[in-house]
Amino acid sequence: MSTFSRRSFLQATGVAAAGLASPIGMPAIVRSAHAASGTVKLGCLFSSSGTMANIEGRLNHVVRMAADEINAKGGVNGRTIEVAVSDPASDWPLYAQVGKQMLEQDKVAALFGCWTSVSRKSVLPVVEQANGLLFYPLHFEGDENSKNIVYVNSPPASSVLPAVDYLMGEEGVSAKRFFMLGSDYVWPRTINKQLKGYWKSKGIPETAWREEYVPLGFSNFQTLVNQIRAFADKGGGKPIVVLTVVGSSIPDFLREFANQGIKATDVPVLGLDMVEADLEGLNTEPLVGHLNCWAYLQNAKSAANATFLKQWAEYVKAKNVPFKGDVVIDPMVSAYNSVHLWAMAAAKANSFDVLEVRKAFAGLSFDCPSGYKLGMTAENNYVSRGVFIGSVNEKQGFDILWQSKDAPKPVPFSPYG
Amino acid sequence: MAIQRCSQARSIQSLWLTGDWFGRLSARKGRQRSVHMMRRVFIAAILFVAVWAPSLLVAAEAGRADLMGKLCGDAASLGDVGRALVGIAADGSQDERAWATPVARAVIDRKLTCDTKGAVVISGEGSFDALTREQRVAVEGGRSPFLNLKNRALFETAVAALALRTAPDPTQRGAALRTLERQAAGLPEHLFEAAAEQESDAGLRAQMTAVAQAAALNSADPAKRIGALKRISATPDRRALTQVRALVADPAYAGDPEFKRAVDAAIATIERGITAGDVLAALYNGLSFASILFMAAIGLAVIFGLMGVINLAQGEMIMIGAYVTWMVQEGLRRLAPALLDWYLIIAIPAAFLVTAAVGIALEAILLRHLYRRPLMSLLATWAVSLFLINLVRVTFGTQNLNFVTPFYVAGGVPVIGDFIFTWNRMFAIAFAVLTLGITWGLMRLTPLGLNIRAVTQNRTMAGCIGIPVRRVDTMAFGLGSGLAGLAGLALAPIYSVNPQMGQNFIIDSFMVVVLGGVGTIVGTVVAALGIGQINVLIEPMWGAVAAKVIVLMMIIAFLQWRPEGLFAIKGRRK
Repeated sequence: MSTFSRRSFLQATGVAAAGLASPIGMPAIVRSAHAASGTVKLGCLFSSSGTMANIEGRLNHVVRMAADEINAKGGVNGRTIEVAVSDPASDWPLYAQVGKQMLEQDKVAALFGCWTSVSRKSVLPVVEQANGLLFYPLHFEGDENSKNIVYVNSPPASSVLPAVDYLMGEEGVSAKRFFMLGSDYVWPRTINKQLKGYWKSKGIPETAWREEYVPLGFSNFQTLVNQIRAFADKGGGKPIVVLTVVGSSIPDFLREFANQGIKATDVPVLGLDMVEADLEGLNTEPLVGHLNCWAYLQNAKSAANATFLKQWAEYVKAKNVPFKGDVVIDPMVSAYNSVHLWAMAAAKANSFDVLEVRKAFAGLSFDCPSGYKLGMTAENNYVSRGVFIGSVNEKQGFDILWQSKDAPKPVPFSPYG
Repeated sequence: MAIQRCSQARSIQSLWLTGDWFGRLSARKGRQRSVHMMRRVFIAAILFVAVWAPSLLVAAEAGRADLMGKLCGDAASLGDVGRALVGIAADGSQDERAWATPVARAVIDRKLTCDTKGAVVISGEGSFDALTREQRVAVEGGRSPFLNLKNRALFETAVAALALRTAPDPTQRGAALRTLERQAAGLPEHLFEAAAEQESDAGLRAQMTAVAQAAALNSADPAKRIGALKRISATPDRRALTQVRALVADPAYAGDPEFKRAVDAAIATIERGITAGDVLAALYNGLSFASILFMAAIGLAVIFGLMGVINLAQGEMIMIGAYVTWMVQEGLRRLAPALLDWYLIIAIPAAFLVTAAVGIALEAILLRHLYRRPLMSLLATWAVSLFLINLVRVTFGTQNLNFVTPFYVAGGVPVIGDFIFTWNRMFAIAFAVLTLGITWGLMRLTPLGLNIRAVTQNRTMAGCIGIPVRRVDTMAFGLGSGLAGLAGLALAPIYSVNPQMGQNFIIDSFMVVVLGGVGTIVGTVVAALGIGQINVLIEPMWGAVAAKVIVLMMIIAFLQWRPEGLFAIKGRRK
């Protein structure tokens, strides 16, 4: 150990940093066979490691399941679908790199991927440059309209705003004050900016809200929950928390929140990124009543949903997938919808060319497991979806508190931002 | 008199019109306000009951049927039922309360099913009709009314109010009282008085009276209001402050100097309480964060201090410790369900020994060949960390593990102001203190500790005087890993347990070890306390992101000034 000095330490950390930054073993990351004739390739950009692994990882399997389903019916345009899976390791720049590789080397017909907006933003220039197609299955902050990205889930106007409206209304809790708590990146900041604009337009004074951010992967929420309590006890109307933290921060926050004895009836939490999978491993009894909003909830009543749930359970069993067969979250359904939308468009265009496929999007409609009919128009690459507001129940799931009558037309750019 | 009371009841509880008279009268029967008045009421009541009793019973039945109908209606009528149930708790007869209690509970638990014949409640005693209480099962195709947040609050209040009156166990009544205390002002005035009257437990009765007094803040009697202010300022928190501050706008504040004095005094007391609570909360939060940092870092301090090996797999040892804890829990669930609540204690030896074994294996197989090449050992441990993460992911999956929350780490108790003493954090603090004690004892009082210290100070010299340096290395690596395993156990009730959990800790623990001075226990303790406390102090001012940046900057600056850390081991090292 006599050789250990500051210099060697610096060298060591330098090498380690370089190792972390450059994707060692890059070729192994993209697991795919050579493009055989008679197949068409789709690429998945979902992390199986890092902070997003638990929720993003399952989307790979859903894409595969959807592809299998289409293949069983004879494939698309006479070709069978082959799915290439990657692991961008929750490392945002790596999404761009892996995406580029898939588009240029593997010649995938379309990409399905990204959870966080920051990863989508990093892939955006790549798909635009290569003129590829990325299906993005998450609800997000909007304010973006690329011809190379298909926004399969809802922008704020048809997800966050109806939920906030509900909470502010008579039927909800007549919320008057808002504590915004988010992870420190583009999605929470943009959502909160739009929300502030929306509240301003309703004449709510600036003193009625507060905004806090934490680093990604943050887990020590003690002080923040104290602040929320202080905020709530100040009086001046019913307070709510608009929670935009992501990944493992969600269960850590909820646990601390419940431990400090705050109930949903005192201060309800609207978790914008909160899904069933985040509640795994939590005792949800003290959390009953907290809310989320998505374009699909597992309890949605429809024939298509029953079929989908059964299909997933069977797939998990047959393929020994390392995720629960009885938990289905919105992004899974959205990823499933994505593959079908793509296949329908490709069949309609009778081509896999991105330009042709994109033209075919106009007028597509698909029976989503949520029970709503998805629709696309020639206007943009947005998909109209239904709106659900869910409420946490004792069984680590969500009950449907409210749902929209039909699928509202998506509004890409928020007038409040 | 009776007529007057009746009209009062009608104004408060129109829903329970007929049932109310009866309930209120019988509830007030034992009241010793004035014998004279009592007697008159009593006579009137007897007359009243004698004439009206048969029709009253029918009316109560009709009221219940009406409530059941509303229960199966829309959200607004559900809300009416919730309010009516609170009314029953305050004014209803014993029979009515006994009827309402399981119904209210069942609505919250979604154990009530509306069907074509009415509603069915499923409780511990089986399934019975909500109205008639006859045993029957729900007709196929029924639905459970679903509470939205507003109605949930009403029903939670109703359940607590009913429990206050009917629960057989004093601890249950106490819990109900604490739930109701927070919203006392919005409840029927006499609920607490009535509950206090029939309360058998003296301590609880005093508490109920106190709550009843505090609830009288807006009553007409100035003396009562001043009494209420005194009561409220005895439990100072921000909610109380908001409540009392609102009184400054009250006309009595300007008009009545005595009232003004009382309000000002109450505000001052509450503010003092809040400040004290905030200081305690900051200390407690800092201490709890420090205990987590300490637990994560102590194992590393031993390994890094002794061998200079930068063990990047240390975080994964924490993760393994948490997984072992989970396996012990699952084992207990199968073999000894009675002991399940104690899994956190029972798992201590397992968590330590398994991770220690993994550490020893790691040292024996890999690291011992790399001691002269620190760079290689750094890369090797990084590879090991990735390997362990993926191994766990393949074996257990990526989801967060489900831990039972035993009673001793669930919830918390409010102390003063807004300071809540949470038990899971206390568990981590106690555990950290215990770990510190054991580690200190091992290092100071055992031959192994003596050897470890000798090798840490001067490896060559220690070897020369016959200390088996290699074996000490192995043991120390095992000790360091085992301590990380214990950290995993202590973190299980606080953080999510998944394959990636260890990666959150590795940077923080290196920060603590380097700041504390390589290889000293006291340094690790002081550094953890310092970083934890500073973090907690900065967070409310500039946010969590800035806190992290500022703490890192401070550490960099400090290490520029003292590269060897807070407590460097004196003597010729290396």
